[in-house]
Amino acid sequence: MSNIKEYLSTEHTKCDDLFVKMEETANMSLEEAQKLCKEFMEATEHHFQIEERVVFPKFEEKTGMVEGPTQMMKHEHTQMRALMKNMLASLESGNKDKFFGYSETLMILLQQHNMKEEQMLYPMMQQHLNAESDDIVDMMTSMKTEY
Amino acid sequence: MELDGLSVDQAPPISAPVRFFIAAPIFGFIAGVLIYFSDSASLMSRYSMESIVITHVITIGFLGFIMLGALTQMLPVLVGARMPKVAFVSKYSFYLLLIGIISMIIGLFKHNDFFIFLSSFGLGSGFLMMLGSMAIALKGVNNFTATVKAISTSIVFATIIVFMGLFLLLGYIGGNISEYQVIVANIHSVWAVFGFAGILIIGVAFQVLPMFYVAPKFKSFCKKRVVWLISTGLFLWFFLSIFKEDYTLFAKSWIAMFFWAFSTTVWIKLSKRRRPISDVTVWYWRSASVFLTLGSFLWIFDEYFKHEYIVMVAILIGGGFIISIMIGMIYKIIPFLVWFHLNGLGYMSIPTINEMINKNLAKIQFVLFLAAIIGFIFSFYMPYLLKVSAVSFCISMIILEINILAPILIYKKTLKSKPDFDMSTFTGISS
Repeated sequence: MSNIKEYLSTEHTKCDDLFVKMEETANMSLEEAQKLCKEFMEATEHHFQIEERVVFPKFEEKTGMVEGPTQMMKHEHTQMRALMKNMLASLESGNKDKFFGYSETLMILLQQHNMKEEQMLYPMMQQHLNAESDDIVDMMTSMKTEY
Repeated sequence: MELDGLSVDQAPPISAPVRFFIAAPIFGFIAGVLIYFSDSASLMSRYSMESIVITHVITIGFLGFIMLGALTQMLPVLVGARMPKVAFVSKYSFYLLLIGIISMIIGLFKHNDFFIFLSSFGLGSGFLMMLGSMAIALKGVNNFTATVKAISTSIVFATIIVFMGLFLLLGYIGGNISEYQVIVANIHSVWAVFGFAGILIIGVAFQVLPMFYVAPKFKSFCKKRVVWLISTGLFLWFFLSIFKEDYTLFAKSWIAMFFWAFSTTVWIKLSKRRRPISDVTVWYWRSASVFLTLGSFLWIFDEYFKHEYIVMVAILIGGGFIISIMIGMIYKIIPFLVWFHLNGLGYMSIPTINEMINKNLAKIQFVLFLAAIIGFIFSFYMPYLLKVSAVSFCISMIILEINILAPILIYKKTLKSKPDFDMSTFTGISS
């Protein structure tokens, strides 16, 4: 059986990898880092879309918790989108200090967000949506080509 | 499953942790002043009044305050547990602890029974209020992760050491200290360092190292067994030190081995961290790792030297290890808290967390702190180093206070000036 928790957690790791690569590159070349920043932003946005369009609505429908944890996670997505946008802008304008300021802020926000999802929200989602787990993972996988 | 921690409006108010963080360096500074006016001969004895007062100004006023402040903030994020009435509890327990520690300094130095009694009331009620509230929060957690287990265990040890501390403190009323109280004092100090602070740091490190530095996650064995093994060692040491004192070395080696393993693991994890950024917080984790290693081994060897080096062990572990971790943590926590709360209120055009604390000032603070700890250790052989180390420690605490206040002033200033909300957040990303 496919596992929602594992699928989404693996995506976190992929985004972390891209983030680390982007920061490493930014130490050497801001221009090179722009490409990786866009790649990271796309992967992260894709992950947000999967959550906001597929798995969060399913969870909300099943539990009736519309204003609960998913709302908080969506709020943090908004915060991260703004930081990513600023991060790319600072790379484009060649401001290294600003870039690392935003990347440090984003990193902590992202990691504590992932931690809350992986340790609390995903296990709960898995528990409530276990019967539909295969279908949901299929939907999330199909979004790869769609997005 | 407990999900209260995921709700934005249930996050603790920023004042809950911050008041503890602001007060901590003041007590660090007071401890430095007290060390300056002490002589190294008095400080060589762990049972001299100077040593007892200075130790508690640091352990309660500095370390205790930072740990309690950090826990109010971290319980929702790390373990999804929300303390009931967190604003009320943190505010009143803070004032009770403040009264308690100040009364303790006066009461013990002046041998004043009223202040000793007032101190017992303040410290007892303040600690138990916070610990009780945390215990209630943790009781509601169903996802019992390694961090939850570690924090819960450390709270159990903390509660026991608070009662032991109260017993010892009230023992000063009348001024007759029995041999029995010396045994309790020994258990109180070992359990405070390893059972409360040590286990708490290990549990938090399981989460924080991968989170802040993208370091490799701790091995399953480490997460599942280490807290249990250390606790077993601490209880074994407790029984041996009461009934079979000659064999305590066995339990001490057991406990020290796991803490040494932890310090080595921290060093390795930091070396293997995927995020290459190095800042003063990484230096603090590394220095903590070195001091813990030295302190753990010295604690064992001290057994062969009739406890001649126990104060040095206390400086290495209490000062070098625990204080290092606490300062490293607040340098990360406070700017993030300020950013997170301002952002949550809708202020988007605010400094990033990197811009809130002057990096050079933080580095100077680290160097002064490190010099002070090393100076305190060598002052056992070169007493003239004590005063200069105390000065270095005091200055490092003043700079720490400046570094803590800087982000908080940004928070206050932003709220006061109320800049226009930046709506660009809601226009999506440009990629």
